[in-house]
Amino acid sequence: MPDLNLDRGWDLHPQVSVRPEPFGALLYHFGTRKLSFLKDTTLLAVVRTLAEAPTARAACAAAGIAESDLPRYQRALSTLAKSSMVIERAS
Amino acid sequence: MVSAKKTSPTEFGPAAPEQSVGFDLESDTLVEEISIDGMCGVY
Repeated sequence: MPDLNLDRGWDLHPQVSVRPEPFGALLYHFGTRKLSFLKDTTLLAVVRTLAEAPTARAACAAAGIAESDLPRYQRALSTLAKSSMVIERAS
Repeated sequence: MVSAKKTSPTEFGPAAPEQSVGFDLESDTLVEEISIDGMCGVY
């Protein structure tokens, strides 16, 4: 699976609902009927910040993610992109 | 839990801790996914 491009803008899909949970969050896609478990509250912060951030990298930075942790979050965002939970912003 | 009858995406409040889904938080994977077929999904 190719990694999500951190230097592009990304948005939460408009058909996705976010439900915060003590462990992170549940994302439900009303179009695909897929359910994603975010097992980290920092990842939830990233997902919530995506729409306002110019790039996914900026959203990660705003959530306080260290450079050394970026690959882990990039993989998580790639998983969400593969299932259309997050979509690349049209430029 | 998530209602399949919902038609407009919204953000809804957190569940009570006893309603939380349990899984291995030690895993390096930050995201796990399931598909919901029919009226309910089993994880």
